[in-house]
Amino acid sequence: MSPDGPASLVPRIREILTAIGEDPGDEDSLLARVEEAAAAAPDGRSSAAWVAARLLGRSLKETRFELKERVLELESLYDLGLSIGGQLDLDRLADEILLRSISLTNSRSGALHLFDGDRPILSRAFGGALLSPEDAVRLDVGTEGAINNEAGTLPTSGVWLSECEKCLVVPIQSETRRLGVLAVADKETRDGTIRDFFPSDARLLTLFATQAATAIETARLHREALEKERMERELEVAAAIQREILPREVPTFPGLTIAAENRSTRQVGGDYFDFFPLAGDRFAFVVADVSGKGVPAALLVSTLASAIHLQIEDARTPVELVERVHRHLRRFSRTRKFATLFLGVVHTPTGELQYVSAGHNPALLARADGAIEWLPATGRPVGIFADSTWTEERAVLRPGDRLCVYTDGITEAQNPVQEEFGTERLAAYFSRVAGLPVREAASTLFGEVLLFADAAPQYDDQTLLLLARDDAEPGPASESA
Amino acid sequence: MNESCRVETVRDGDLAVVRTEGYINREGGEEIERCVQLLLEGGVSRIVLNLEKTKIVNSIGISILIEVLEKMMERKGALAFCRLTPTIDKTFRIMGLAQYAGIHSTEEEARSALSATA
Repeated sequence: MSPDGPASLVPRIREILTAIGEDPGDEDSLLARVEEAAAAAPDGRSSAAWVAARLLGRSLKETRFELKERVLELESLYDLGLSIGGQLDLDRLADEILLRSISLTNSRSGALHLFDGDRPILSRAFGGALLSPEDAVRLDVGTEGAINNEAGTLPTSGVWLSECEKCLVVPIQSETRRLGVLAVADKETRDGTIRDFFPSDARLLTLFATQAATAIETARLHREALEKERMERELEVAAAIQREILPREVPTFPGLTIAAENRSTRQVGGDYFDFFPLAGDRFAFVVADVSGKGVPAALLVSTLASAIHLQIEDARTPVELVERVHRHLRRFSRTRKFATLFLGVVHTPTGELQYVSAGHNPALLARADGAIEWLPATGRPVGIFADSTWTEERAVLRPGDRLCVYTDGITEAQNPVQEEFGTERLAAYFSRVAGLPVREAASTLFGEVLLFADAAPQYDDQTLLLLARDDAEPGPASESA
Repeated sequence: MNESCRVETVRDGDLAVVRTEGYINREGGEEIERCVQLLLEGGVSRIVLNLEKTKIVNSIGISILIEVLEKMMERKGALAFCRLTPTIDKTFRIMGLAQYAGIHSTEEEARSALSATA
């Protein structure tokens, strides 16, 4: 042992450390380190060489520890990347990101806040409140983030970070918008003091924030995909229900040939048609078009169909049936949705037609001799105005005549230059196909409309009911398209 | 999230199980260090450190655990870890703790491993 104690070893130790490129530090700290090392010498026999070896051993140990910390940081980033790829639970990801951020910066506390615009959507805190979701929303740390090693207040925003001495806050942002903030506070040391955050801490935290942004965007896309899938499933169910509402086959009535077809532009549509056998050689038919599209329209179709089925037995006239349906819709459709409908009652032996058209497109009556007649609306659509009234009109279907009742999806079908198919083309079509069997004439009309549209997207359902009085036309009694 | 570290000890002869709950940072690490010191002074030479309820550990906490391990080795004792989260498991392996202490899935497994060293 040095006879003058550890202090006498300091100059020699300084020389040794400087010679091998180690920073000896200031006089006091070096003396403290030398004294500590000397105290651990076996039998109290410390020499300059022994103390230097001891100090270098410790330095090497610290360097290796720091190197392992850097490896750990890289591994954490790698693991987080993998988690983001395989983990779509945003809550769990937020926990993982926050804990790793606190752990790798040696912080005592931290918080992670995500928001959608100004609305907080997820908040996580560890080790104290640190930052409320509302403050997180209004916290402005720019795009680079902010280190505050002086006090808990961030200079750019005046937001107070409670329960901490020093803090580091970085934004979580996508290419176009801010998604949240990630904050850590109070970087601790082995001796129990709080030290300043380093720029390297800010870089690490920014990398975590970038990972978080990717995770959030991935989770959002996943949520949207699930939502879309759910809506598609609902639409499929609604479409199945609606298929049950529409008649599966067209009924047969003596002396008449009928074809009917519906084509929806969506999985569920807003058109409806149906048939109802009545006493006294009569039957009723209805073609309707409800307002709106998609599921809401399909629900209204369901309400309308129920109303007709419920009321048709009790109504004494077509007008009374329409009035009852109107009241039913007004009672059960609170959003004031409405429907146009054409209700006809045919006496099959004579071809006499009674009809009410509630705001529906004019039906086309193609006479056997080639004349075209239109049967216009006899009142307003059902379901809107409380004081609506309707009148009943009559026509006679003579042998060879064809009655075409349709929805506006046919006449308002548009081509790429926004021209509509229109009633003139419809009339011309029926003049041209007078010799075609009913079913063929009906299905060919859809082809004609498709050809006219020339691949332009169509947004309205198309329904056609074609009813022909037999005699002039040979063939089966009824046809289902 | 609960952050402050709590330590619970169950002794069985010269073997003890130390169960932690919360953040193993400086404070948590020192709590474990104090507890281990008392056990060593009380004649315990084998310790299972069960981290089932610890979800986060930082490098200060790890450096204290390394000191604890060194102390155990100086006294010819043995220490084993169990019930680590995957993140802490990986952290301990990277930081070199697994070189000096076994890492086990269950407390029973860790106890058996230490009993075999007695």
